[in-house]
Amino acid sequence: MNPILVLGGGPAGLSAAAELAALGAEALLVEREAYLGGNPKRWHYSLLAPDLRPAEEILGPLLGRVEGSPKVERRLSTTLTKSERLEKGFRVTLKTADTVETREVSAVVLATGFDHFDSRRKFEYGYGRYPDVIDFKELEGMIHDDKVVRPSDGRAPKRIAWILCVGSRDIQVGNPWCCRLGCVVSIKQAVEIRQKHPEIDAWVYYMDIRTYGLWEDLYWKSMQEYGVKFIRGRIGQVTLAEGGAQLLATGEDTILSRPTEVPFDMIVLASGMEPGTGTKEAAGLFGLPVGPEGFLTPRLSDMNPVDSGSPGVYFAGAATGPKAIPDAVTEGMGAALRAFQYARE
Amino acid sequence: MSIVAHLPRRVLSLTEEEAASPPVMELTGRRRATSEERTVAETIYAEFRADPRHREFVLGCLNCGECTTGCPAARFYDFSPREMLQIAQNGDATTLWDAMQEKIWACCQCYTCNMRCRFGNDIAGIISVMRELSVIHGLESTRKVLAPFGRSLTLLMTVGTQVSSDMIQPDFFRDWGPFATGSDKVWDVGTDVMRRAIPSDVLHTTRSSWEVSVQTSLELFRIYEETGVLDMLRGLDPDLTEMLVDIIEERREEFEEARDRFRTELAGMHGPVATFMG
Repeated sequence: MNPILVLGGGPAGLSAAAELAALGAEALLVEREAYLGGNPKRWHYSLLAPDLRPAEEILGPLLGRVEGSPKVERRLSTTLTKSERLEKGFRVTLKTADTVETREVSAVVLATGFDHFDSRRKFEYGYGRYPDVIDFKELEGMIHDDKVVRPSDGRAPKRIAWILCVGSRDIQVGNPWCCRLGCVVSIKQAVEIRQKHPEIDAWVYYMDIRTYGLWEDLYWKSMQEYGVKFIRGRIGQVTLAEGGAQLLATGEDTILSRPTEVPFDMIVLASGMEPGTGTKEAAGLFGLPVGPEGFLTPRLSDMNPVDSGSPGVYFAGAATGPKAIPDAVTEGMGAALRAFQYARE
Repeated sequence: MSIVAHLPRRVLSLTEEEAASPPVMELTGRRRATSEERTVAETIYAEFRADPRHREFVLGCLNCGECTTGCPAARFYDFSPREMLQIAQNGDATTLWDAMQEKIWACCQCYTCNMRCRFGNDIAGIISVMRELSVIHGLESTRKVLAPFGRSLTLLMTVGTQVSSDMIQPDFFRDWGPFATGSDKVWDVGTDVMRRAIPSDVLHTTRSSWEVSVQTSLELFRIYEETGVLDMLRGLDPDLTEMLVDIIEERREEFEEARDRFRTELAGMHGPVATFMG
């Protein structure tokens, strides 16, 4: 049996590769970047919701299973440039900076993931213009290194605002979907900061809070135990406050139905999820349909979310839509199992 | 100038007649409408919901409030585009009627709310539909609200505009104009530099909007006549309408005189010419 190709080394791809190895199959894990771990690794995610455990604790064992297994062939800094369907499986071309290689694989798991929304596209928030307007993926790294300071002057902020749904639920930027994680991650960040630095004031501007399922607990606790403030209404524009040392967030408090203008030392944008570059490329390489949002579409998303509908091609993780790490890991397992069944048939 | 001062204040106490008869329509915590008002309100509501623009302009609302954020009117008045959209989307005859008494007139039709709306609603548009209905039905409140704006209406009907961008208060548009220089930098340069990049033929509009040719003015008025706008206005303010008709009539005569003189002069120079001006 030829190896099973797993495209993408984030949580979903790692999970699929590890599970394939556990099933006794050989996995060929191809990753564009020079490291495994995907977006959580790239942006140094700090604690992960819902249990507030460090990202390393969750990614570590997964990485261990993949790196410690002789069944998993890891190919980093490698991209897939061509695929050709065989009677069983595919012939694929793998390319690195200086090599090109053709391999035969018996099935494919696409775990090509997502990209964070580029917050500069919501120009009214001044991301990329005002140094103290940062993206929440950057705050993850700051919290991780316990260096939550204003990029402009290196001073500790006294008051931070989170703006939710940046690049999500917004047809102006062409992204009407919900990113599913902006709420919980922002609240988690506010809690983390309030835990370590109770002197920092934390405000969250929201339209709806979607801490779905058991995550609701974190939302309640953030108010009850950590005093995080929630204002219903979105900031419409960010400018410099009088004197230029602070940022001025202007919006409407839609509960009190009145305009609001609050100075902040730092503003954090909860940028959404968009189909990853690899996801778009994979759709082209394997001739798969994408939805209006640009994500890959399972043939029956309710019955079997990991089946592409194209024989021998399976999906895992955020390639099919915004997803949390536990869901990505579960889908990695499911896709591995389905790919294994197909390859063995 | 404070526009709010001209808005009619709601009469909160009931007249004896109203108090004697049972409430026809409950405006919870607000004034009760008479039966005539109720009839008009329900007619307006039915027309409003049946207007094809309603389905086109009102798509849905996440209540994010970004429309209100950019709204210059919300700065001064008890007005919010979000509330207007909510009323257009979910309101009943009573709430619509209530909003049409004065709130719709606080909107300055700058369309900033539309630009901000992440749902793609045409909020300023739906407000203008409400305004249209209030004028068509000749609401007493509309008459009162519009009474002090005879000068604006005259300009609007004869020139086609009544405000230009240099009349807007800069304090509330922090990223506009010379006030945006100093601490507030866009990219690497101040907005004054950015403004210099605006094509001069666009800036020219600030001046030229007041210099409307007689011919344009007449064409504009012809449009008002043909589309029924003039009749709408006549229902609301017959005196003003007659005055406008007089002004335009005078211009039309002037224009025709000038045209005839021009033709005669041309004919004198070149012999008979084909008519190309009407």
